[in-house]
Amino acid sequence: MAIKNTPAAGSGRVPFIDPARADHGVCVGPGRQIPACDQRTLPGAMSQRSCAYYGARWFLAQLRQVLHLVHGPVSCAYYGETVRKKWYPVFSTDLTENEIIFGGEAKLLSALRELAARFPDHRALLVYVTCAPGITGDDVDRVCRRAERDTGMRCVPVHCPGFLGYHQAAGHEIGTRVFLEHFIGRGGPGEPGGPGEPGPRDINLLGEFDVMGDYRVIKGLFRRLGVNVVNAVTADASVESLARAHRVRLNLIHCRRTGGLLAEEMEDRYGIEYRKSSFFGLTETSASLRRLGEWLDCRAEAEALIAEGEAAVAGDLDRYRRELAGKRVGLFFGGSRLGSMLKGYRDLGLEVVAAGSQFGCQNDYREAWTGLNPGTALVDDANEEEVLRFIRQYRPDVIAGGTREKWLAHKFGVPFTVFPQESGPYAGYSGFLNFARDILAALKAPVWRIVKGESRN
Amino acid sequence: MSSIDEPIPIEGVTYRQLEIEKKPLTPGYVPRDPALVPKANRAAVVNPVRTCMPFGAMFAGLGMHRGLPFVQGAQGCTTYVRYTFCRIFQEPASIANASFHEDAAVFGGRKNFTEGIRNLVVRYKPRVVTVVTTCSSEIIGDDMASFVKVAKKRLVSELGPEDGNRVRLVLVSTPSFAGSHVAGYDRASRAFLETLAADHSRPNNRVNIIPGMLMPGDVREIKHLLAEMGVAAHVLFDISDVFDTPLMPPQTLPYYPEGGTRVEEVEDMANSMATFALCPNEGGLGARYLEQKFEIPAFAGPVPVGVRNTDLFLERLARVTGREAPKTLRDERGRLLDFMADTLHHTMMKKVALFGDPDLVTGLTRFVCELGMEPVAVLSGTQTKTFAADIEGLTGEFGHTPAVFNGSDLFEFEETLKTMPVEVLIGNSKGADIARELRIPLVRTGLFVYDRVGYQKRPVVGYRGGERLLADLVNAILDSSYPEERTQQL
Repeated sequence: MAIKNTPAAGSGRVPFIDPARADHGVCVGPGRQIPACDQRTLPGAMSQRSCAYYGARWFLAQLRQVLHLVHGPVSCAYYGETVRKKWYPVFSTDLTENEIIFGGEAKLLSALRELAARFPDHRALLVYVTCAPGITGDDVDRVCRRAERDTGMRCVPVHCPGFLGYHQAAGHEIGTRVFLEHFIGRGGPGEPGGPGEPGPRDINLLGEFDVMGDYRVIKGLFRRLGVNVVNAVTADASVESLARAHRVRLNLIHCRRTGGLLAEEMEDRYGIEYRKSSFFGLTETSASLRRLGEWLDCRAEAEALIAEGEAAVAGDLDRYRRELAGKRVGLFFGGSRLGSMLKGYRDLGLEVVAAGSQFGCQNDYREAWTGLNPGTALVDDANEEEVLRFIRQYRPDVIAGGTREKWLAHKFGVPFTVFPQESGPYAGYSGFLNFARDILAALKAPVWRIVKGESRN
Repeated sequence: MSSIDEPIPIEGVTYRQLEIEKKPLTPGYVPRDPALVPKANRAAVVNPVRTCMPFGAMFAGLGMHRGLPFVQGAQGCTTYVRYTFCRIFQEPASIANASFHEDAAVFGGRKNFTEGIRNLVVRYKPRVVTVVTTCSSEIIGDDMASFVKVAKKRLVSELGPEDGNRVRLVLVSTPSFAGSHVAGYDRASRAFLETLAADHSRPNNRVNIIPGMLMPGDVREIKHLLAEMGVAAHVLFDISDVFDTPLMPPQTLPYYPEGGTRVEEVEDMANSMATFALCPNEGGLGARYLEQKFEIPAFAGPVPVGVRNTDLFLERLARVTGREAPKTLRDERGRLLDFMADTLHHTMMKKVALFGDPDLVTGLTRFVCELGMEPVAVLSGTQTKTFAADIEGLTGEFGHTPAVFNGSDLFEFEETLKTMPVEVLIGNSKGADIARELRIPLVRTGLFVYDRVGYQKRPVVGYRGGERLLADLVNAILDSSYPEERTQQL
């Protein structure tokens, strides 16, 4: 097989993409369209996409003061315990054949009563409806209303059967709806959430998941500006804080697939403005802080913070840049921060030769499009086979992507960095150094040289 | 685990409070409402130790050479399982999905199934495709047997008879609500033999091994025992070179690991001398099928962990094949015995609790009894017909009467452990929190070890596996029982 070292510039066709999905990939060039996206996965392809339940768990896992009950066979709860490499207690109704045939409503009701009685200090119960009860048609809404009446604890159905939608973003949307319908602005009398004046620098941060401490870093930056984060959805949100969510002055969107809908709806309902932001990469962090400074009318403070942050990492960054400049990287992210994350790689002088995401939407690709060099492949929902073909044809120096392709890339002798990350925070200025160090570590590991040496003999 | 000062959802206390409060046999410890501890009294399951049937079938399907599982279900059913495999083995796991969305849930999954099989076969050229069903496809009543026929017909008409017929489709029916991963593997063993094993024409002088969901290191150790005995074998679902493969680029596309059981081997399994299903609940169905259909003697368990169970495996092997265990194996046995004698002061009368999948736990329970330890609580995440009787029988031989939990969850297990003195915990990674709260060491064993590296590479079966286990056990005890600042002379 002939190995092409450069993308097929000019043709517009992505050379490694499956012919049946040809319109899901484009090479960036003048006048071309963005890739087809938000469509059904090709059956039989080894896609990295997951289901609506996965998305809902990802979205809701970290919400505090609630209990999570998975209505379905026990395995959905088993898999849903680990979200972002952290373990969360999850309860399950453990549906068996009996309940599949005769209905699981009675079991659900007694489980809800049990949990409400045993954990009275919790504020709400989330009931995840998975594939099985989604098909058998258990009336979970009714059971939840009944349990709420019986126990006095809020019981909230989350309708996220796995077959819903085309990928996990369906679950993010369901999570958003749950927030809007059941939590935001829903405080009891005398509780927080009632009328009151918002603080001048109260904001919500939407779509931040606190992977390995990212949120801590961002919060640190905000604190310097005097910004008070009422909710970080869902790195740091509770029933109580969500009840106050509609009283902020600004919604800052971090991951659009998670926060976009929420921000739009909150603008409609409560008239809260929203802004896009990103704290990944030097350029983006500074730009976001600057925008925030403008909005909150504290430009000088923001500029001082930016100058200080950039100065703190400048020395180390020079060294990383020297070592990484010109290295070719392929990016296959899960979510939709593709456009902003690209800039982080460019800050390091890495050359992005292919980029894609599992469930990005048109806006994401449009944004990514503007940040990519001509000839770069932009691919929606790259599957396992395509990633391998990409490795063979492009010979990238390093790949970034989800955990599941990592081991495969290693088998082909290509270093791989995982997103969301496995080591420290990547956000902000200090996090950016972690990010640079991780790429360098993956690239420079002696094992790759040894592997190549052996294959020559 | 969350930060130590964060409230956790058990009666609103923090981990720091629990540290003191939950210490077993501490005078201040108030046991939880005893009525709610047993799983039988609860509607909600807390901390399950089992996962779904499709997981077991996918595990089996990946053990085939150029074998790919194909999941007729939502994408999460594939992605979660792949993620779990990756966490356990740190290896790629190629599993295809039928992209089962709302349209399939409403109108049936035939279209996406046949299209998916076709796409998969054209692109990956597998030798065998394990068709795995899920909750959704089973509940809507997809007639999978006929779908498979339709898909096959389509393959033949599109690819020609030679290519279309070369790939074998094996249907494993695995509705998740009807059993656990243990049953999934069990069903897969029978489905593969029913579909592939050919009529027995001439004896092949081999034995069949169905290892169950053991690790690559275990399967290698079994092969080592067989080689020392001079016995040739067919290993069904041989994951040893699938989930522990060398890094040697460049490879050809599509990428397949070199290992795995070949279809021809499965066909030939109908001609073997005997079948050993090492784990009775994981592969026992397959062994019994061969016995009923082809009159091949079946031995279902016990898993050869520890001295007596390994002895038993080798004795049966000797009886079937007429070969004696060589001196090399007797030496291995002697080395294990020597190790047991040398470390008895660390193991004797230590109280131990075990949990995990039923077969391995049964084997491990006997081994810890052989070491002079006292099992005080034994849990199987999956309910089986014989588990309670097996454990009671074998611990009775040593004069112990542990609490036995057949198909319970870790909440019940943990609450029970708090009421009894336990010194060592043996189980998978899900026990890490329990061990932390009880302040006892956890020795990681079983299928779901995802927070330590290298467990899968070394065996727990056979005499050499016993040595490894014993070393892990004693080192864990040493780590937790002796002050750090002093160097221990063992």
